[in-house]
Amino acid sequence: MPENIDHLIGTVYFGLFALAALLCSAGLLMSRHPLNGAVYLIGVMLSISGIYALLGSPFLGVIQILVYAGAIMMLVVFVIMVLNQAQDHRVPRFDRYSILGALMPLALLAAVVQALHAQPMPVDPHALRGDIAAIAPAMFDLSAMPGHDGHGYYLLFELIGVLLLVAVVAAVMLAKRTLESTETPGGAMAEAHGATHDGH
Amino acid sequence: MTAIDPFHVQLLAALLFTLGLMVVLARRNIFLVLMGVELMLNAVNLSFVGFSQQLPGAQSLWGQLTPLFTIAIAAAEACVGLAMVICITRGKDTVDSDAFADMKE
Repeated sequence: MPENIDHLIGTVYFGLFALAALLCSAGLLMSRHPLNGAVYLIGVMLSISGIYALLGSPFLGVIQILVYAGAIMMLVVFVIMVLNQAQDHRVPRFDRYSILGALMPLALLAAVVQALHAQPMPVDPHALRGDIAAIAPAMFDLSAMPGHDGHGYYLLFELIGVLLLVAVVAAVMLAKRTLESTETPGGAMAEAHGATHDGH
Repeated sequence: MTAIDPFHVQLLAALLFTLGLMVVLARRNIFLVLMGVELMLNAVNLSFVGFSQQLPGAQSLWGQLTPLFTIAIAAAEACVGLAMVICITRGKDTVDSDAFADMKE
């Protein structure tokens, strides 16, 4: 039965991706250096994009890899390396309050799992796959959305564009003022940004 | 559509969210705190996509559109968050979150 084979392969792939995501998350929790943690987090994001593809949202999986694993994690790794003091691994991983911080989320998890378990979750057979041919009309073509009488997602889309622009300007302003305030020779920090200082 | 048990998807999302919250609350390195927030956002996106399978027809696309906007917001959050980390780290020359308890003292 091809359907059974499909179901089996999908389940096996889901199990592998879920296991990879959970192991990488545990690695993030226990990692010694932030760069190790960043690599583990990239592993989580790649696994989750695979799960998106399995769930029928390949477009979202591609965006996940492009934006999260590509752009955001590149930014994180870049900043870690810019600020990379050798003492990063000398920051203790945990302190004596960490045991509380590690245990309280488990209570949240127990409550959420209990609530999920009590709720039947039927898959609707008419649910659509979220590939690009389906996502683009839903986002921009209002006539394709029966029962949706709002103004589509144009306004939200434009607002997020403006928000990203504002965020970039804010980041430049924050980092620039800091560069000027550390113009005095301050050791490794000033050297790491020697090229930037030349512009002033 | 591959029939993956929606409960398993939600269970995975809840586990990832819990691990992200643990990273935020337990770790002392501010880079890892930021990465824990990113992990929590990812878990919520996964939950959205999992639940969207239960809606009929075109409605099921809405749950798959929301993560697109969430990812864009997360990009802005990471941008400003990292700039703030640069800002406060330069003054103290450490990434230990305990060093930034000035308002307490």
